[in-house]
Amino acid sequence: MDEPQDELEADADEPGEPPDFDALTSAEEVVRGERTRDDFFDAALGLDSPATASEVADLAGRGVDAAREYLEWFEQLGIVTLVTESPATYQRNQEYLNWRRVQRLKDEYTSDELLVLLKRETEREEGFTDQFDVGSPDAVSITAHASASDRSVEEVWEDVSAWKTARRRITLLERALTTESGDAADQRTAV
Amino acid sequence: MTRGEDDGVSGAPIDFDRLDIIRGRLSRDERFVRIDEHSEFAPNRLVCVYDNRFYPNNIRTAQLEIVWFENGDFTLHYHEEQDTETFDHRWDRHPSDHNTRDHIHPGPDALTPGEDASHPADWRDVLSMALVEIEERQRGFWSA
Repeated sequence: MDEPQDELEADADEPGEPPDFDALTSAEEVVRGERTRDDFFDAALGLDSPATASEVADLAGRGVDAAREYLEWFEQLGIVTLVTESPATYQRNQEYLNWRRVQRLKDEYTSDELLVLLKRETEREEGFTDQFDVGSPDAVSITAHASASDRSVEEVWEDVSAWKTARRRITLLERALTTESGDAADQRTAV
Repeated sequence: MTRGEDDGVSGAPIDFDRLDIIRGRLSRDERFVRIDEHSEFAPNRLVCVYDNRFYPNNIRTAQLEIVWFENGDFTLHYHEEQDTETFDHRWDRHPSDHNTRDHIHPGPDALTPGEDASHPADWRDVLSMALVEIEERQRGFWSA
């Protein structure tokens, strides 16, 4: 990135002291957690394709024995799934992360609030369905759509990503609502 | 750990969980005064507002916008409001017809097409790379 142009630099009559950059926590440390567990959780979140314990150890900046232990623990918790046995490879378990977020939605919102959020996301999704004239973002070929619609690949990619995000949110909200009413129904049955 | 050339061209949802972790880490850091996520229940993007003490008076505000996707794609956008101008710089990983998947839209106005680049594979290294480059620019304001 370019250095600022001279006319932007602080001059002599600048009030206040120059900041002490050297006193800041280094960027490398800021983006990492403080504990071994954070390193392995970060590594697990980054596993968008199957990885071995030694690859995960590299990602975490920790030893391979610790990587094996954490992966086994994460697999029991559902954070990663075992993809192959020999060699053992693991991948991030998106289903678990979705489940965790659904629990959070149920804790933080009432059914009425969830319904309002769901309505908004559903309207967004309908907008994309109209715009692309197909039923699902997976049916869109980004490059083909870009050339056919005279838009840039980047613009179409942004819309398809936003569409997939809206669908992910709808799934989470619907699950939070379904399990909520399911619990209520169970309670009524029990009474 | 390598990613196929084709799978990312289909796009992916925003990675809410990765953004949650990033928000947690950056909100403990004194570089930023505020981190907004523009969503009630799952972040759209993180808007990380820099503390003004890193800038001279003629810079009004500066922020880093962070979006990450489940397939590892991302866009990091640094934006500076000066008295009369703006400065924008973007680090990207996503399909485009102007550059390779990894690319940079350099300042002052984040021009398209940008420059092809090779960003680190690990998301934490990508993020710290951007923070380091921003800090180098901030130091440049005080070099006189």
